Amino acid sequence: MRPILTLGLYLATAGFVSAAPLKINGSTTVNLPVAEAAEILRAENKLDIQVDTQGGSGGGISMLGDGLVQMGMSSKPVSEDDRKKYPQCDFHETRIGEDAVALIVSKDVWESGVHELNKAQIKDLYGGKVTNWRDLGGVKSQRIVFFNKEPGRGTWEVFVHWLYGSPKLAPQVNFPEVGGNEETRNKVGSTRGAISQLSASWADGKTVFALAVSGDDGQPVEPTPNHIATHKYPMSRPLFVLTNGAPVGDAKTTVDFLLSPRGQKLVEKHGYLPLKALAK
Amino acid sequence: MTRALSWILSLTALASLVLLVGVFTWQSSVIWQRDGIAYVTGHSWFYRQQQFGAFSLLYGSIVVSSMALLLAGPLGLGAALFIAEYLPQKTRLVLKSLIELLAGIPSVVYGLLGILLLRGWVYETFERFEPLSGDTLLTAGILLAIMLLPTVVSLSEDALRAVPASQRRAARALGLTRAETIWSVCLPQARRGITSAFLLALGRSLGETVAIFLVVGRQDNNVPHSWLSPAPLLQAGQTLTSKLGGAETNIAYGDPLHWSAIMGLGLILLILTGAATLLGTVRRERNA
Repeated sequence: MRPILTLGLYLATAGFVSAAPLKINGSTTVNLPVAEAAEILRAENKLDIQVDTQGGSGGGISMLGDGLVQMGMSSKPVSEDDRKKYPQCDFHETRIGEDAVALIVSKDVWESGVHELNKAQIKDLYGGKVTNWRDLGGVKSQRIVFFNKEPGRGTWEVFVHWLYGSPKLAPQVNFPEVGGNEETRNKVGSTRGAISQLSASWADGKTVFALAVSGDDGQPVEPTPNHIATHKYPMSRPLFVLTNGAPVGDAKTTVDFLLSPRGQKLVEKHGYLPLKALAK
Repeated sequence: MTRALSWILSLTALASLVLLVGVFTWQSSVIWQRDGIAYVTGHSWFYRQQQFGAFSLLYGSIVVSSMALLLAGPLGLGAALFIAEYLPQKTRLVLKSLIELLAGIPSVVYGLLGILLLRGWVYETFERFEPLSGDTLLTAGILLAIMLLPTVVSLSEDALRAVPASQRRAARALGLTRAETIWSVCLPQARRGITSAFLLALGRSLGETVAIFLVVGRQDNNVPHSWLSPAPLLQAGQTLTSKLGGAETNIAYGDPLHWSAIMGLGLILLILTGAATLLGTVRRERNA
């Protein structure tokens, strides 16, 4: 009798769960820790979660607004326009971390006196208009070696979003590509005249050095946790999961997990600043 | 029974080959229909702008493999000659099995060695030519050459040993020195086997992925302006395999055009390695 009951119960819950899977959609940047969290929740809490990245942050906001998904992922706050567009949805933002991108240079560039760059200089650099560090304030003549983050990396997205407004507006460039944070740091550290984009938490100040970056006001800002947390540093963005109203049910389980120490570890693992680092 | 079985198995093998080529052709049909031959000859690959020209990848693959073969060929053949013709039987067997052991080392291990030793070496040694970094086509070529050596040595040695001892004795009886015997008897008779060794090594080098991926620099669209200058060899590049092994493959999945362009690279690679390996195997069979 008991096995049958258990089986019945199992089928009932399975039927119930599969009838209402938790659908999540949005930013590829936020997706990295969320997808991994979903995997853990699937295994441990038997949650039925589907994570997708159609249309990035914008897609996450619009699909949540339309009620097509129960949870959105976004690397930007929900704008007033979006809230007006979807009056039926009470967008509830839960910040799970922060993504900051530093421009890092090799030791010789740093010692040659290049400690900061402004937006125009970075545009010239990325567009291939300047090829020598002397033209960017370096004392020594040294060719610039730009290691570009490979496509699909959140780091690259943040960089071009800040510089050009959108990945589509970025110029076509051919630079040697680097992948993970470790690889980027090693290659920049071991190459003269090297520069690359790297998640700020990886700039160690020993082998690679993070440049101060000045935005439109011309004030150079270093990517310190404090500057990132207060958004004084321009190349950073908050990472959100969005729900319609305060999260409930499976969505709450997921959000709680992302905010728990284990979830925050996942945020950190993918090169983002966890909330703990932002509080400082 | 044996006969029927061997037929069935041969046909299965053939069918899976046809199936493989078929799947890749089918999956890449979108890009062939859109661009035709321009897909292979086009110089720009910018997937965000939906431009897919595979020429620089083809160039990278061929340059790296040829460099590897150019370096490993003479060296490997020399080693094979020494092992086959000069060494006493016992030492020969020990040395040969050691070399064959080298052929079994996973390529990622070679790649790590490449990062550890070769990248820095190329960067410093060729400093006066101002390489931008240690990740260059040349680095990949040298690394690949080291990886090909065991294959070239072992297969060439087999070919040389396949020349009957009676031929050598006859040559010596005619008064030829040992070197002359090798030059005018052994090498000509083993010619087929040796070219087959080179072709099989070429097949292996075209398909090699991880080791190249780690040291080639992965720079798209790098086609030299001048074909005569060796300078482009000291630039970073991209091969068919390093492209396929990279992040773009995952991004492409789901976008029909981009995906078919990626699968097209797979098809080109399949044809290149297949042709080299097949040619090598056929020659080898004939030689034996």
